[in-house]
Amino acid sequence: MSEEKIRILERSLKREKAARKAAEKILEDKSRELYFLSEELKKSNFKLENLLSEKSSELKGVFENILDAYVVIDLDGNVLKFNEAAITFFGYPQDAKNQLNVLDIIHKEDMDYALSSFADLQTKGFFKNYRARVYTNSGEIKWVHINASTIYDKNQVPIAAQGIVRDITQIKLLEEQKEEIFQRLKEKNNDLYEYAHVVSHDLKSPLRSIDALISWIKMENEGKLDESTVQNIDLIESTLENMDKLISNILDYSSADTKIEEVEIDLNRVLNHIEKTVLIPDHIKIIVLSKLPVIKGDGTKFQQVFQNLISNAIKFNDKEQGIIEVDCIEKGSFYQFSVKDNGVGIEQEYHDKIFEVFQSLTKREDSTGIGLSIVKKIIDLYEGTIWLESTPKIGTTFYFTIKKQ
Amino acid sequence: MKGIVFTEFLDLVEDKFGLEMVDKIISQSKLESEGVYTSIGTYKFSEMLQLLQNLNDNTGISINDLLLTYGEHFFSVIESSYSGLLATYKDPIEMLSSIENHIHVEVRKIYPDAELPVFIVEEKTKDSLVMIYKSSRAMYYFGLGLMNKTFQHFGSTAEIVLEKIKEDGTEVKFIINKS
Ligand code: HEM
Repeated sequence: MSEEKIRILERSLKREKAARKAAEKILEDKSRELYFLSEELKKSNFKLENLLSEKSSELKGVFENILDAYVVIDLDGNVLKFNEAAITFFGYPQDAKNQLNVLDIIHKEDMDYALSSFADLQTKGFFKNYRARVYTNSGEIKWVHINASTIYDKNQVPIAAQGIVRDITQIKLLEEQKEEIFQRLKEKNNDLYEYAHVVSHDLKSPLRSIDALISWIKMENEGKLDESTVQNIDLIESTLENMDKLISNILDYSSADTKIEEVEIDLNRVLNHIEKTVLIPDHIKIIVLSKLPVIKGDGTKFQQVFQNLISNAIKFNDKEQGIIEVDCIEKGSFYQFSVKDNGVGIEQEYHDKIFEVFQSLTKREDSTGIGLSIVKKIIDLYEGTIWLESTPKIGTTFYFTIKKQ
Repeated sequence: MKGIVFTEFLDLVEDKFGLEMVDKIISQSKLESEGVYTSIGTYKFSEMLQLLQNLNDNTGISINDLLLTYGEHFFSVIESSYSGLLATYKDPIEMLSSIENHIHVEVRKIYPDAELPVFIVEEKTKDSLVMIYKSSRAMYYFGLGLMNKTFQHFGSTAEIVLEKIKEDGTEVKFIINKS
């Protein structure tokens, strides 16, 4: 080998040796670095593990302590977990829950509903307000309310479902009772209404006979009767008329709390109609201060309200120039109407009483004492209120509200 | 520059021109490392420049050609050491357009002090790619060698045209058309 070649090899060897040393040093440093890194990783791993077990024991606490029954099932409906409340509610012993499938405890009539809710879990990921019957372990049927949602793994693949189950058996029972009572009441009400019809008819027909008989007597004895007898006969006639009115009013009152039709009513036309049909004495003026709204409701009922209030205002007006003002303002979701008069006024102590049936303040022959109670019933029906402001001898304002539709 | 670039380079020189050539270019250069390279070390890029320059002086082969050959050789290093990274690609155009935001991103995770170029994709279709190479090291022929081998790796070929944007080669446009 040439000298030159040997020297080249020697230099190469030297470089290789130095490179090996350098590499070893780099690797030594790296492994030290790795050792420290792994020590640190171990520490933080330990911390993470502690944190995790803290979190899971927290969650376990929540799971065990919620008052509602909490159930976890797999995608086939097999029960994976029951909390204490669920075990108590369903009555299944702790170990039996492993063989339990939710489909086994669903009431057979609710099966279709249950299956479609179950399908919601797959498509939407949850269902809410599920209300149906289940069988408990003892065979008892209970009503439950369930909100449930799908549980996904970290790749968004559904793995299970969880639900909060609430016992609504008592509520359901009460609801049913309420419905039953409501139905019974409705029937009773109808009966009463019909009864009132029949009674009023039966009461009116003898009145009509008496009236007819009286007028025959009058006709047959024309000129033969003395003046006081004629006066007494007139009195009998007007009493009969009053009695007839009273009976009609009672019938109105008994039907005041049922809406018969719901149509658009232009209250301006209702007022016009009243002005034409009610006898308004010459000294009394009715003024409508603003344009009245068009509302939805039962036309004859609103006619009754205004007619009764206005008739009262006419009846109890003692002034030389009587003025009745009708007005309406909007108040949020309500209309507020007012009927103001300058009549005799009403003492404060009677402000509530006048809305009760048969409470007439004066013993007037043309007053049955039912009018205002009918008004109040109708206002109640339209979710409004009625009240009044009055100064005796000066006048009265009736206010009432009607809910906008 | 990472040591593996030097060790692989010198291995290639020894392969092609013999140990004497390795000894010669190292002795002719002024090297801080004195020519002692380990693949896991990091060395100055100027040392690579001197080695290339002296190899060019001694062989008469242009630096561009040397870098091209070296790039082609370096791909085999990548193939054996980073086969997993390569396996994430099924298509050369896909792979080349992902150097900047995937491959070299991963490289930097392994070697935080690596000196890597910047590749900006300008146009991309199923069969063509236009990219701008930017690097103070102007090793675009090394890149060309890697690209040639990339196509070969996927069993295809391409026509690759280089257009210098800057005269010193620190910015070069690669126009690649799969054939
Ligand atoms: C799995 C594939 C790849 C790996 C693991 C890889 C890794 C590396 C490494 C370690 C370096 C040296 C960095 C330094 O010395 O500091 C480098 C440089 C370089 N790589 Fe990649 N590379 C890959 C693919 C590519 C491809 C496909 C190209 C195509 C053009 C490319 C172009 C370059 C260029 C041009 C350089 C030289 C540095 C410069 O020009 O600034 N690389 N690469």
